[in-house]
Amino acid sequence: MSFFRYQLPTIIVTTCGIIMLLAFFTPFDIFTTIKANLTQWMVVIASTSIWLGFLYMCNAQYHMLKRNPTRSQKILFVTPFAFFLLFFIVGISFPKDTNSPQYLWLFNNIYSQVSMTITGVMFFTLSSAAYRTFRASSIDSLALILGGLIYTLRLIPMFPYFIPWLVPVGEWLLLVPNVGGGRGAVIAAALAAMAVGLRTLWGREVVLKEG
Amino acid sequence: MDSWEVLGVLVGVFFIISVLSMLWKDNLYFRLGQQAILGATIAHTILMNMKNVLNIALIPISKGTIILIVPFILGLMIYLRLVPKYAWISKYTTSVMIGVGTGVMISGTLRGQIIDQVKATVVDIFSATNTYTVLNGVIIAIGTVTAITFWIFTREHKGVLGISAKIGRIFLMISLGANWSGELILYLTAMVGRLIFIVNIFIKSVLLGIA
Amino acid sequence: MSGNKKEPRIIWEKLGDLDYRWLYGLSIILMVIPIIQPIGLPTQVGEATKGFYNAIVNLPPGSVVCVLFSGSAGYADEQEAGFVATWKVLFEHNLKVIFVSTAVDSEIILNNELGKMVNPESYGKKYGIDYVRLGYAPLDEVGQASFAQNIRGIFAKDVYGTPLDEIPLMKDINNYQKIDLLYFQYLSCTDIEWVIRQWVVPYGTKAIVSCTTACGPMAAPYYPKQIQGFIAGSGQGTELEILSKNPGRGAVLSDSKNFGILGLLLFIVFGNISYFGKKFGKRGE
Repeated sequence: MSFFRYQLPTIIVTTCGIIMLLAFFTPFDIFTTIKANLTQWMVVIASTSIWLGFLYMCNAQYHMLKRNPTRSQKILFVTPFAFFLLFFIVGISFPKDTNSPQYLWLFNNIYSQVSMTITGVMFFTLSSAAYRTFRASSIDSLALILGGLIYTLRLIPMFPYFIPWLVPVGEWLLLVPNVGGGRGAVIAAALAAMAVGLRTLWGREVVLKEG
Repeated sequence: MDSWEVLGVLVGVFFIISVLSMLWKDNLYFRLGQQAILGATIAHTILMNMKNVLNIALIPISKGTIILIVPFILGLMIYLRLVPKYAWISKYTTSVMIGVGTGVMISGTLRGQIIDQVKATVVDIFSATNTYTVLNGVIIAIGTVTAITFWIFTREHKGVLGISAKIGRIFLMISLGANWSGELILYLTAMVGRLIFIVNIFIKSVLLGIA
Repeated sequence: MSGNKKEPRIIWEKLGDLDYRWLYGLSIILMVIPIIQPIGLPTQVGEATKGFYNAIVNLPPGSVVCVLFSGSAGYADEQEAGFVATWKVLFEHNLKVIFVSTAVDSEIILNNELGKMVNPESYGKKYGIDYVRLGYAPLDEVGQASFAQNIRGIFAKDVYGTPLDEIPLMKDINNYQKIDLLYFQYLSCTDIEWVIRQWVVPYGTKAIVSCTTACGPMAAPYYPKQIQGFIAGSGQGTELEILSKNPGRGAVLSDSKNFGILGLLLFIVFGNISYFGKKFGKRGE
């Protein structure tokens, strides 16, 4: 039984991974065809497993209510299910499904508004964090502040209007020191990703041993 | 504006203000907005993907592409994660996904994010046409090399490595600052967008009747 | 009664410890001012935007552009200026355009914008001949690898249910070979790696990308060797509007952002005055 629980999944990971590598590094069409099929399968799997999110939401909401069975928590427990049902029922009930005027009304007036506002509220979170942390206490923090502020001012139209040199300096900052640091981070991250990837294909990664 | 549009604006403004109320303090209205978007997002994702299952899997299967039953069954197997006794069966699906994903990632990473990035760093210096671009190329090269040395954790940052890592950290801080400023502008744009909605649509169009 | 008298807080401590709600209130007030009274300041165009624009306009007539569109309701304000201006540029030129939605919100945003904000028919374009919409599929990195190799494996029909073989534009197009330029609009900063790994590296496909402002600095290392140009956020979207002479929502948003940042700048100054005041104040004792 341990072969089916542990060894066989590892063999599957290694086989699939090696086929992908062979499709890229060798000129044989058979591997390219298998790669095309396997990558298509991923799209099918992603679409089929979509209800998992709903089931995890049910589980999380249940545990939240169990930990804290107050009146307000009960209201918060019911809310996501109520909106889930509202969107789902409207989405399947009218002609044109998610393109129906009724669904678009919900999408534009509830979904979009809440999404955009939650994104907007992050401005204040970031601002209060910057107020606390943007203190020029070392060369590193000074580099952080200068990099951040110069590029921020370059992006707001008012400042380059009064301080024209912000544009060439901001562009230089983006395309020279930022690229230097960014490229180093990209290469380092890529090397690490390759190391972890090869360990995964070799069956050495812990995630495959769980369960 | 017809009555449905006006109702939509009022509902939108209600949700915007309920989310913004968290700036004062955490409260039930903010959490209601949060829970509402949770349920709505899951419903929306399921609705959008339900058609994909039909078009990419079930219809081709009914037309003779029997092999697509395999990813469909793999997609269904992932739901067994929720049953502790049979959760190990879902490892087959995740194994295929991990194997294909890792193989596809590694094949492009070696050239795209390592070789081509190193090549670009070197070529920038030798293909430069004037002193300014040569200098920029040298700065990028220094930034790239020193930023990579910052991520070496298998040796203590002493001596030459220590100096290099310190310089690399400065370049990374500039990069981080530029990223921070980008995030700030992103969230500022979202917040400004909501305020434009409140001022122009809600106050001017709905309340004051100005077109 | 004996008790410890609290020492009066000096100005440095007060400046470094202000209630965040002052910052929030000040920021909101400053953001509202240019909405009520627009200022209308010019925007200067950057190099990456010029590269993005030139990559499109320098395409030979009849070239095929594949638009992988990841629109998001949460980032609509940020993305709209960029993608609307880009679509207008695409339709202004003699190019064939394939639209593919890769995120759950994309298809609805595409419906809202294409035909209303940007009407291909007004540029003399015909559906099925000059442009086509394939619909939505969850195309992450592996999905894009599949799409690049076999379009019909993911989309057997277009968004209206017409088989791709019956659409004149798609007759000879089934993979990367006939795609002259890839325009990838993405949300998460690391998604640019998908295009590099699955299009640029294996097939040498030319690519331009559009992302949020936060992801612009992370796209810069790939420019100009691996991607021909990028536009990051509504700011660069506004630059594209100016460059292509297609004014739009970007200009309104850019104008309104002018004062919003001032509150934060003031508080950062306060924070640093507090820090240095405490530091040099201690040394003086």
